[in-house]
Amino acid sequence: MSPMWGSVEQYSAIHWSWAIAIYLFLAGLSSGSIIVALLVKWNRHERSNSSIWDAMIKAGSVVAPVAIFLGLLILVIDLGRPLSFYWLLIRYNITSVMSLGVLFLLIYTPIVMVFMLLVFERTVIKYPFFAPLESLINVVKSFHSYAKIIEYFLFGAALCVGSYTGFLLSALYAIPLWNSPLLPILFLTSSLSSGVAVNILIGLLFFKSTINPESIKYLLVLDTRVILTELPLLGLFFIGLFYAGGDVSHAAKMALTEGFWAGIFWFGVIGVGLGLPLITVIIALRSHVYRVGYVVINSMVVILGVLMLRYYIIYAGQIYLG
Amino acid sequence: MGKQYRLIYDENLCIGCQACSVACRVENSVPDEVYRLQVHLHTKGEFPNLGMNFERLSCVMCENPPCVSVCPTNASFQSKDGLVHIDERACIACKYCILACPYHARFINPLKNVVEKCNFCYETRVSKELLPACVSICPTDALSFGDMRHKHSLVHQKSHKEVLVFPKAHLGTKPKVAFIPNRKGMKS
Repeated sequence: MSPMWGSVEQYSAIHWSWAIAIYLFLAGLSSGSIIVALLVKWNRHERSNSSIWDAMIKAGSVVAPVAIFLGLLILVIDLGRPLSFYWLLIRYNITSVMSLGVLFLLIYTPIVMVFMLLVFERTVIKYPFFAPLESLINVVKSFHSYAKIIEYFLFGAALCVGSYTGFLLSALYAIPLWNSPLLPILFLTSSLSSGVAVNILIGLLFFKSTINPESIKYLLVLDTRVILTELPLLGLFFIGLFYAGGDVSHAAKMALTEGFWAGIFWFGVIGVGLGLPLITVIIALRSHVYRVGYVVINSMVVILGVLMLRYYIIYAGQIYLG
Repeated sequence: MGKQYRLIYDENLCIGCQACSVACRVENSVPDEVYRLQVHLHTKGEFPNLGMNFERLSCVMCENPPCVSVCPTNASFQSKDGLVHIDERACIACKYCILACPYHARFINPLKNVVEKCNFCYETRVSKELLPACVSICPTDALSFGDMRHKHSLVHQKSHKEVLVFPKAHLGTKPKVAFIPNRKGMKS
């Protein structure tokens, strides 16, 4: 029997669905992979002006623009009115994290594009089709004395893109599971983790000739540290929610114990996303064996875990309101 | 200085007839399956010791509206009179405001594909010095509406006489819709 006041469906609808979860994942993946590429460039390249790029840098320079473009495409298509998206570009509201995100992306996206062009300069020059880009490359290269500053700037922009997706959700006090100051840092660390994984994966699959095993080891150690940061962050995230009391702690309790999404959290986010990679890395580090097969599977597991974290936060947040 | 609108809903006078809901639908051409306004009836206790509570759900016209501060295109905006409106032209239907609203007052109009909510019937009635449709139709005068600056307005008098409850006041949203809470019946 429907109540006399009518359907209450609109009060419990999922307004942000899988498309937003995937966008948050892709934005994190993009920023994570460029951050990792820059870290490798700064810490693992012997000569900063070397034209033979480490596979990790190549991978990051491809993944960053591809992931952000794909993500933005999904994001715009998911709008109720995709064709009116241009309003985002002509009207800004500085109190809206979404508007700030647009600004960050307007800075970030062109720089990662140019970064990719520079890394693949030789490939670009080979094809007459890309001829117009050559002059762009030359213009950019004339600024090479500012390279380090631009890289720092890109690093900063990537940090903004990686964390704004967290602020986007945490700004909403109507949704207890999102309204946590830890969400941006949690998203940023898991972005970094996915960045390490995707760069290793793409590097091993497509840029094998320039793989430097030392860089991979460096990144696997980095990933272990990131995962060891992410686990306590997740713990703090829920402890914070519990201590908030009232509806918030009830929502947190439900999200950890009730139904499908609690399963996704314990099995997917904790088990697959953080537990498995940690075990793999510990075993690999102890035995000093980096078998390509293991590393590839491990990378895919990490990426899957990061994706599930975004899915979990998006859905559980909207379902468990306390 | 702008107006200081207030809408008071007296839970003690409401009989749950749903006339307000119907009037709202007619006035604002609200599509099927979505609602700008609902009055829920909660029955509590065990027979014969029953108690009933009414709960009115709609936009509460916050003084500090979270829907306005999150809107990336300023499509959701606050007028000089403090009322929150939606500029349908600039609404990209990103649904950020729907998620930001702690009162679940907003929804997507499936016909126009833009975000919609109660606007106190501003365009069609309040701007012409008429009462909102829900207020004018209420057979028991459970709803009253007016400008708090006028000492003789019904809302001003009721606000002085009655204990008003502002929904989710702890959030600091400062709603312009207030309730006179149920004085009778099972409270738990």
